Amino acid sequence: MIEEFEARFGPILEKRTLGEKKALYTIMARPEDFQNMVRSLLAGQNVRLFTMVGTDERAVEDAFSITYWFADTSKGELLGVRLYVPEDKPVFPSVAQFHRGALWFEREVQDLLGVEAEGLPDRRRLILPDDWPEGVYPLREDFKYSESPPGEKRYPYARPPEGTSVHAIGPYHIALDEPAHFRLFVRGEEIVGVDYRGFYSHRGIEKLARGRLNYNQVCFIAERICGICGFCHSTAYAQAIEEAAGIEVPERAEYIRTLLLELERLHSHLLWVGVAAHLVGFDTAFMEVWRIRERVMWLAERLTGNRKTYGLVVVGGVRRDLLDYRRELVERELDVMRREFNDVVEFLLSSGGFVKRCEGVGVLSKEKARAWDACGPVARASGVDYDVRRDFPYAAYRDLSFEVPVETEGDVLARATVRIEEVRQSISLIEQILDAMPGGGILADFGDIPEGAEGISAVEAPRGENVHYILAGDRNTIYRWRVKAATYNNLQTVPDMLVGYTIADAPLIIASIDPCYSCTERVQVVDIESGKSKVVRLGVGICR
Amino acid sequence: MTKAYPFEPEEAPPEYRGIPRIDPVLCIGCGACANACPPNAILRIDDPENGTRRIVLDVGRCIRCARCEEVCPTGAVRLTAEFEAATDDRNDHVEIVELRLARCRGCGKYTCYTERQVEKVLSLIPRGILDFDRVREKLPLCSECKLKLTVLNATKFGEVEP
Ligand code: SF4
Ligand code: SF4
Repeated sequence: MIEEFEARFGPILEKRTLGEKKALYTIMARPEDFQNMVRSLLAGQNVRLFTMVGTDERAVEDAFSITYWFADTSKGELLGVRLYVPEDKPVFPSVAQFHRGALWFEREVQDLLGVEAEGLPDRRRLILPDDWPEGVYPLREDFKYSESPPGEKRYPYARPPEGTSVHAIGPYHIALDEPAHFRLFVRGEEIVGVDYRGFYSHRGIEKLARGRLNYNQVCFIAERICGICGFCHSTAYAQAIEEAAGIEVPERAEYIRTLLLELERLHSHLLWVGVAAHLVGFDTAFMEVWRIRERVMWLAERLTGNRKTYGLVVVGGVRRDLLDYRRELVERELDVMRREFNDVVEFLLSSGGFVKRCEGVGVLSKEKARAWDACGPVARASGVDYDVRRDFPYAAYRDLSFEVPVETEGDVLARATVRIEEVRQSISLIEQILDAMPGGGILADFGDIPEGAEGISAVEAPRGENVHYILAGDRNTIYRWRVKAATYNNLQTVPDMLVGYTIADAPLIIASIDPCYSCTERVQVVDIESGKSKVVRLGVGICR
Repeated sequence: MTKAYPFEPEEAPPEYRGIPRIDPVLCIGCGACANACPPNAILRIDDPENGTRRIVLDVGRCIRCARCEEVCPTGAVRLTAEFEAATDDRNDHVEIVELRLARCRGCGKYTCYTERQVEKVLSLIPRGILDFDRVREKLPLCSECKLKLTVLNATKFGEVEP
């Protein structure tokens, strides 16, 4: 990807950072062919939009910067295209017009930074609360993290199509584990369209890191982004810093991280299988699966000091060693877990009720999965063969062997199958880690983090890729921290999955992506700059 | 599998990081824990009028990361194996250690460090290596008086030089 791009556009651009397989290009004056660059990148067979970062760089560059990061999953290459948007005319051409996966990124940057994507198909607010005042952008440097300005409450929901009625799921609903608002447009029982409004659990973590935390405190806050894949977030964050500052993590620490990452996958998938069984009314299986899940939590408690693998990752390594007695505990539990899990899966799949409720329901085609940049089990169940652990190896995954299960049906059952197979792979991975555990220290020594250094890193969380980007500030602080959780893209596919099925299927379909709303919703904003152009129009929504 | 908890006690494993507690006898009020704490569960609140410093720990905000335990120079704050934090009064979560601020030897105002901090620093200085009495004299000075003393010493030095 990098080679072709350089051949075509290289001479007119300025090249900034370079890793071996990572390149960042900046466009100083905004040439009209930015859209062509993105188009030609996305035309690649295995290229996906990795993440997008908007930064207030007015202090250094007199402009806002917008960086689109692309990943070539077959070559393991990352390429960033950075666009500087002047302060007096903060507008750039929208990518979402031709690539739907960019939609939320652009709506987000408009909300938080006040940078407008020209031609954006849905201009409504994404992240800011309904009562946030106009023209106040929280991620700008001149907005204090502790402020919370008052405003008037309003939100332009999509108009239901002719002849349909609205069936609301959420913001609080018995089938949702966190607040989220799905408006189903139904004709009789059939769902014909969906509007989504979320970001009720947004906690402004990115701004907090800029306003109050130092780089080492962020690790502990990063893992609070998600209640399930917290370890993935803190690892991704630590890796981004390690890359920016050139810190060599000891091998043993890498292995311990990998062990816990896999333990987290076990926990998350077991939790999901239980919830899925519960949602189809098969509570015996639900209880059985959660009984096994309890073993994982118990193990996490012995390994990390917390039932949810919290507080172990720090920049440069980990804080607790895998002592011999802990290793024995893991071996013992794994044996039991493997046996019990096989039994329960057999029990679950022998139930006609469970299989019938999942089969052919909530189908997401491969094309749509690619268009939305879906990731994790959702993408793999739709035939997208992509796994960060294999394609962008980090921690100890280079040394381990595992298979990436891929299904092609794209229905709820395929998503279940992928996860069930991944549990088996995880158990085998943990065994390999125990066998190959190297000796040595668990924490690296390092100096200051150079100002202006950038790092980007991804971790395959149980739900898909978590991408963390950091730009270092002065005196060991962080200037910009961008978190993209797996659910961010997966959630955007849900309306496509729901259409054509009935209300009764909706909870199971929504749950089938294993949504994590907190993960998706991280930031918040404002400054009282009046006189800014106001652009909130009635959008068409993500429904057709 | 099912236990009679809470009627039957449930014990956390030895590795567990539970609720942190500050030992008020050991704490010197340095505030290192407050600086390290990611979610601001520990605050250092000075009252320069009345000469007190309070180290306020809110267990309800604490995320049990044990950073405070790592940085505490006296081992005053430790994470226990307790995990039951449920209460119907948020105030039950707050733990306060109150310490006296040291008075400045020069002007008599309260300084920004506690009496115990001064004691601790003095106890750390190896006798015979430094001019102990000079240090003793300089220690409980507020920043203003310290500045004055430094300037004074500098001018004296200047007089000798030519
Ligand atoms: S354990 Fe962590 S969160 Fe709790 S008081 Fe100590 S430093 Fe703060
Ligand atoms: S770090 Fe220790 S001695 Fe210092 S204020 Fe905190 S508890 Fe007290």
